[in-house]
Amino acid sequence: MDGDARSFRIALAADSYVNPPPGGVDGLAVLGEAGWGIMQLPDPAYPAEMTSRILAGIAEQVQEFHRHRYDIVLVGEHDGLAAALAEVSVPVPDQVIPASAAELRRFLGARPAPQVLRPGPATGSRE
Amino acid sequence: MGVAFVAHCLLNQNSKTDGGARCPGVYSPAVEVLRAKGWRIEQMPCPELAFTGLNRFWAVREQYDTPAHRRHCQRLAAGVADAISVRAGQGEDIVLIGIEGSPSMGVCITSSDPLRGGRPEWPDGAPELTSGEGIFIEELRLELERRGIGFPRVAGMTHPLPGHDEVAETAGLRSVLDNS
Repeated sequence: MDGDARSFRIALAADSYVNPPPGGVDGLAVLGEAGWGIMQLPDPAYPAEMTSRILAGIAEQVQEFHRHRYDIVLVGEHDGLAAALAEVSVPVPDQVIPASAAELRRFLGARPAPQVLRPGPATGSRE
Repeated sequence: MGVAFVAHCLLNQNSKTDGGARCPGVYSPAVEVLRAKGWRIEQMPCPELAFTGLNRFWAVREQYDTPAHRRHCQRLAAGVADAISVRAGQGEDIVLIGIEGSPSMGVCITSSDPLRGGRPEWPDGAPELTSGEGIFIEELRLELERRGIGFPRVAGMTHPLPGHDEVAETAGLRSVLDNS
């Protein structure tokens, strides 16, 4: 990964932490500063069928990060996420529902280093 | 103010092809502009991530232009179109923010090389950039057309392109956001 700046750390973040209401915790800002990537969970106001479709797509992407051992956490909560992850055999990640930016920073700061399976030079056949 | 549907990697650089992540997680220049102007952010899926995975090679449009990948994009685009439909129904202003040069998420510039294939060796600077949309953006356009929803204004982030100019990139984004 020479020249690649990724953190191997991903937060599944409830919509209210990406688009915080007035006075809410700005999870996007905290996660960005701490170098975490974000996978935004759908707005809970969306209809259930639509939400299921979006969550299924998110779960497929999470599965790919999970199998490469990226560190994945859940910031906030979302009904239906656990079921969508179960469909792709991924456990619900460690979770925080922070009441403050400081609480979120503390949670992120206590995470262990990711144990990532990193890509190496291609050695397979061309077929 | 309105809703910006942003390419997945703008919030998650971990989704990039190996060697393509410019920062650890959130590509802040785009987010800072959206936040400063009070836009709501909605992240689109990364069509390449769930199809060819994290260890995928860099690719051009033609390599993704297969029936199976188009079906995958159509399924993901339906979810985005659902969300755009809800927002449009609420009378909200909508923009789409893609990634220029991307075979999937390019909005004005994609990458093309009809002959590329086989062992992935090619010189840096190969002239694959060309005007056009990526496969996912194309499928999203078709899905919105099917639903009778106008295609939103678009802004393309240019950080993957040679000669990238961050000031020009964010100025372009501001211009699109302001042009309601």
